[in-house]
This record gives sequence, C-alpha cells and structure tokens, in this order.
Amino acid sequence: MHLLDIRNLTIELNTGDHVIRAVDKVNLSLKEGEVHALVGESGSGKSLIAKALMGVLNERWQVTADRIHWQGVDLMRLPPEKRRKLIGKEIAMIYQEPSSCLDPTAKIFEQIAESIPEQGLSGYFWQRKKQRKQRATALLHKVGIKRHTKVLDSYPHELSEGVCQKVMIAMAIARSPKLLIADEPTTALESTTRAQIFRLLKSLNQLKSMSILMISHELAELNDWTHGLHVLYCGQMVEAGPSKKVFGSPKHPYTQALIKSSPEHNVALEHKSELYALKGTIPTLQHLPIGCRLGPRCPQAQKDCVATPQANDFHGHTVACHFPLSQK
Amino acid sequence: MLRQYLVRRLTLLFFMVLLLSLFTFTLSYLFPGDVSTNLSGIDSAGFNANDQITEKYKLNENYLLQYFAFIQHIVNGDWGLSLASGQPVFEHVKTLFPATVELALYALLISILIGIPTGVIAAAYHKKWQDHVIYTVTLFAYSTPVFWLALILIMAFCLQLGLLPMSGRISLLFEVEHQTGFLLIDILLSNNTYKQAALIDAFHHLLLPSIVLATYPTAVLVRFTKDAMLDVLDKSYIKSARAKGLNHSQIIFHHALRNALLPVISQIGLQFSTLITLAMITEVIFSWPGIGAWLINSIYQRDFPAIMGGLLTVSLFVIIATMIADILNTILDPVSRNRSHGQV
Ligand SMILES: Nc1ncnc2c1ncn2[C@@H]1O[C@H](COP(=O)(O)OP(=O)(O)OP(=O)(O)O)[C@@H](O)[C@H]1O
Ligand code: SF4
Ligand SMILES: [Mg+2]
Repeated sequence: MHLLDIRNLTIELNTGDHVIRAVDKVNLSLKEGEVHALVGESGSGKSLIAKALMGVLNERWQVTADRIHWQGVDLMRLPPEKRRKLIGKEIAMIYQEPSSCLDPTAKIFEQIAESIPEQGLSGYFWQRKKQRKQRATALLHKVGIKRHTKVLDSYPHELSEGVCQKVMIAMAIARSPKLLIADEPTTALESTTRAQIFRLLKSLNQLKSMSILMISHELAELNDWTHGLHVLYCGQMVEAGPSKKVFGSPKHPYTQALIKSSPEHNVALEHKSELYALKGTIPTLQHLPIGCRLGPRCPQAQKDCVATPQANDFHGHTVACHFPLSQK
Repeated sequence: MLRQYLVRRLTLLFFMVLLLSLFTFTLSYLFPGDVSTNLSGIDSAGFNANDQITEKYKLNENYLLQYFAFIQHIVNGDWGLSLASGQPVFEHVKTLFPATVELALYALLISILIGIPTGVIAAAYHKKWQDHVIYTVTLFAYSTPVFWLALILIMAFCLQLGLLPMSGRISLLFEVEHQTGFLLIDILLSNNTYKQAALIDAFHHLLLPSIVLATYPTAVLVRFTKDAMLDVLDKSYIKSARAKGLNHSQIIFHHALRNALLPVISQIGLQFSTLITLAMITEVIFSWPGIGAWLINSIYQRDFPAIMGGLLTVSLFVIIATMIADILNTILDPVSRNRSHGQV
C-alpha cells in the first residue's frame, strides 16, 4: 500500500479578479521507507505542494484534489482538527525559510521541547522537564550543533540562518515521523554540514524506515540515494518515475535539459565553454502559455504542443509530453 | 544596546519637556492681562508687591533670564497663586491630580482586563458569532459620546434605581486623612473605625465614572488586540507550530499571545492622552474633584496661573506615561531587546 498517494492536486491563488493556478493536477505517490525527490526550477511550485499537504497555506490559496491518501485515509475528507492531529503525529516538514518559521519571542528550547512527543517521557512533570532538556540536547547534537546550552537559551534572531535551519531539522525529526518533507533543507548550510545532514537523513531512512520527500533543485546530489524522482515545471509534473530511469534515460525535454545543465554532467567540458541551458526563463504565473507550459522554451516543440499533453505511463515512468524522447 | 536606547529615549524626553516648559512660559505672555499677574497670580498688587514680583521673575531682564527664573520657581514647587482661590496652584495640583490619576488608572485597568481577553476571544473565534457580537458591542462603545453615556448611566443607576451615588469621590460622612492622595490607599492607611464602610462607599463612587471612562479605551483595545492577534495568527511560525500538532489553545497561549501583546502594550501607552481628555469630561459630569474638572473651571474663570499649572501637569503626565509604555515594550520584546548578541 502507498504511504502517500496524491491524485490531481491543484492549488489556486484567488487574487480577487481572477484565479491563478500555481499547481496543476499533480500526482505523487510514495511507499513506506522510500526516499523521493521533487525537483524543479525556482517558482515551479515545489514548496506549495509540500505546504498544501501539511495544511499550512493560508485562506487565499485554494487546494483541491481527487484524493490525498495517507495510509489509505483520505485527508481531504477528514475534519480539519483530525487532519491536523494526524499530520502533526506522522508527517514533519523542514521549512525552506527557517527563521520565519520559528517563533521570535520563544527560546529555542521551548520550541524544540514542544516537538518532543509526550509519550516518550516518564515520571512527574519536573522529571519530564529534565528529560526534555536531555532529548533536546541530543537532537541538537544529531544535527551538528555542539554549543547546545547557548543555542537552547537563545531566541531565533540571535542565531544565524544556518543554525536556525539545523534547529528546524532537529524539531522535524523529534517526533520520528513516518514521512519527512525536507524543503531544501541544506540551502543555508556550508558544504561539510550539508554532507552531515544528508548522512543523518539517510541513516534515519535506513534505520527507522522513515520516508523522505526531498525538495531540491539539484538533481545530481539526489540521484544516488532516492528511489523516485518527480520533475516539476511551472506547476505541472512533467516527468516522474524511479530515479534510475528518469535520471538515466529522461524522456521529457525539460528533464533532459535539467540534467544536461547540471555541473556534474559537464565535468568534461572544455575550459570557458558555455554550459547547456534552455533559452528563456520560467514564465510568471500570470502569463502562462497555453498547452504545454514548456512550449516556448522547448527545443522539440511542434504544432501539437498547443494542446496540453497528457501523462503517459511507460512501466511506472510517466512523462507528460507529446513527443517523448526515444532511448538512444 | 538597551542603554543606548534608554539614553535616546531620555534625550527625547528632555527635549519634549523643554518644549513644554517653553510653551508654558510663553503662555504667560500670550494670555491677556499682565505678565506678572499671569505668572504670580497676585492681582492688582500694590506698588511694593509689584516690584517684588518683577524682581522675583526677573521681568526687567531679557527673556532667557525670565525663562530660567520661571523654571527655577516651577522646580521649587512655587507655581504662583490661583487667581480664583488665592491658594498656591501647586497645592491644588497636589490634592487634585492624584484623584485624576486614580480614576484614569482604574479605568485603564478595567479596559485592559476586559479589552485584551475580549480581543483574544474575538480573534480566536474570527468570523464566528462570538466575533460578530463583540464587533457590534465595540462599535457601540466606539461611537457613544462619553457625556451621553454618563448621563444615561446616571439616569438609570442614580436617579431611577438609586443604587449608586451621582457625584464626588466619597460621601461627606467619612473623613479621610490626605496622605498619598489616592483615596483607596488613604482609606486603607487610615485607622478609622469606619474603614470598611468608607471603602465600600468610595467603591460605589468610583464605579460609574471609571466605567464611563473605560468604555472608549476598552473598545480600542479590543479592536487592537484582535487585529494584532489575527496578524500574528497568519504568520508562518504559527502555521508551522500548528502543523507540529499543537492544539488551538497551545497555539494561542504559547505563541500567539506573547507576540500579539507587544504592539498592544505600546498602544496602551498611546491611549493615555485620550484617556486624560476623556477623564476631564467625566470629572465635570460626576463632579469628580480631579485636575480635569479644575482645569476646565479655571479656563471659565480665566484663572491663568491655574491654567498654566494644570496644562503643565497633565502634559507632563501624558509624556512620561507614553515614554514608560514605550520603554516597557522594548524591554519585553526580545527582538529589539538585545540585537547586540553575537551570532552562533
Ligand atoms: N504568498 C504568495 N503569494 C503569491 N504568490 C506566491 C506566494 N507564494 C508563492 N507564490 C508563487 O507560487 C509559485 C510557486 O512558489 P513555490 O514557493 O512553491 O516555489 P518553489 O518551487 O518552492 O521555488 P523555490 O525553489 O524558490 O523555493 C511561485 O511562482 C511564486 O511566485
Ligand atoms: S509537449 Fe511539446 S513543447 Fe511540451 S515538452 Fe513535449 S515536445 Fe516540448
Ligand atoms: Mg520553495
């Protein structure tokens, strides 16, 4: 059974005079213990999908879906309070903007302590406080913060963005969730701690069989340890499937361009020669092209592309393109 | 950082007080009549006395020296005599001002105790019936004129039902020694046999004026607290705390309230000037022996030394109260409290 199964998720922004569709009919599913990556350019709607799943978008956003199944339970049909409880218990998210997701007037210890589940503690409340402190310290060590006393006693604005991000990660793994959504969890970190965080996430996945949905725009970094890869462009899922297949033999022009433009792909490139890149930029949500949203930038585009391509399934490898690339 | 901030605030306070004193001094020239009379409160003085006053206030010297002399007398507590009563203005202020502060403080206390929880409830039940009821009531509280409300309440509770006294601070039956000027404290400090009865009587007298005075600030606080709460509840740290599985009351009490109350505290400070203005009207209606009623009376009687003294006191009080609220806000807010902390 799928742990998470999202079907036709659509997220729209109501601007008053018209409705902007930021995420269009996205499908996504993952099994227990799997690591999936959600990649796409900046502004393609990756964070929106994650936030819609967590239920943290404000009222201006309208979220509709045929179904969002969590272990067979449809979250869309659950009353809000129940849904929040369930998500709070089983899904955790590392937010992209760590410092704005921490309460500015509460000390770090308070905020981490809140995330530590009651059930793991024993004894009377004064004993619990001590246990919480130990747990919080251990969590901070796990994410690579050594000066735990100082950090626990600080307010978020006294810490750097990188430390806030680590605190965010500590809070997210405190409940040992079934699914961890990591929204670019290492952007504010230096490369050594970045590797440490990846190791931590990998071990959590392997030892505790925690599923992870990694959001990133760096394909190569994820390729070797993710089971599934979902490529998003402009709010549409253009290609999805097992990482090896998608990465090894991309069928969608956009995925191919993404892989070709990554520095790892270009190591053999001659000095000072140009990196491969698609022409143009990602269109704004107000001026989306009709039909295939990649159309104006696509090297393979043809007349048929003015109609929105449907997703075609090639043995679990779905591609939304009229002219999928054939294997060499 | 905090020290720097305090120094800045105190400098600002100094200049505001300087301007205020300059303005008050100028008033003695702007008011009709003799400058010496306006300053000293001694009218149609004999030749000798007039010389003394001229000497005292250095009226023959230049304006700067006159101003310094004026300041010196003010600081020494010599505020001239009231034209109407012939008594020293400073003595009047000393007995009257505590009555006003007492009334204003109780009204403020009521509005804080009612306004902030109500605002929180309105925000917690945003767009539900509780919110609509609160909105309607505050709309009335906003738009009802103080004097009208006072008269209606007097008609209902004093004249029709006869439950509460109509005017004054305490019944003439009780004699309370003047110590601090705050009646309730004075009663508690005194050792009369009728202490309890006096206290109850003072409460009865206090009830209507403080309710009338509290109405408008309460409405303002309800609205402000609600807006601040809604603003904070929309922040992403609240959203993410909620996604952690905290329930509604945990969110409100652990995260939202603390963040929302910071702007509310500075708002309370800003309410002081409105409160004092409204207190003047309330005092006149309830014959409350406070500085507001006295000031208005002095204006009618063209008692210039009294007007100057009253204005000075009231303005000084408002300035200092606003400043204190501002400093309090800074001390309570961790973000502005210590930006100097090193980063980890
Ligand atoms: N609060 C908002 N108001 C209006 N538009 C928004 C808001 N938040 C996001 N958007 C728009 O929604 C689209 C998707 O945003 P999203 O944050 O999901 O992008 P992303 O894929 O996470 O990008 P990044 O890699 O930069 O994080 C963007 O075009 C963005 O402009
Ligand atoms: S549908 Fe057409 S425009 Fe879109 S990606 Fe495929 S070939 Fe390119
Ligand atoms: Mg994002």
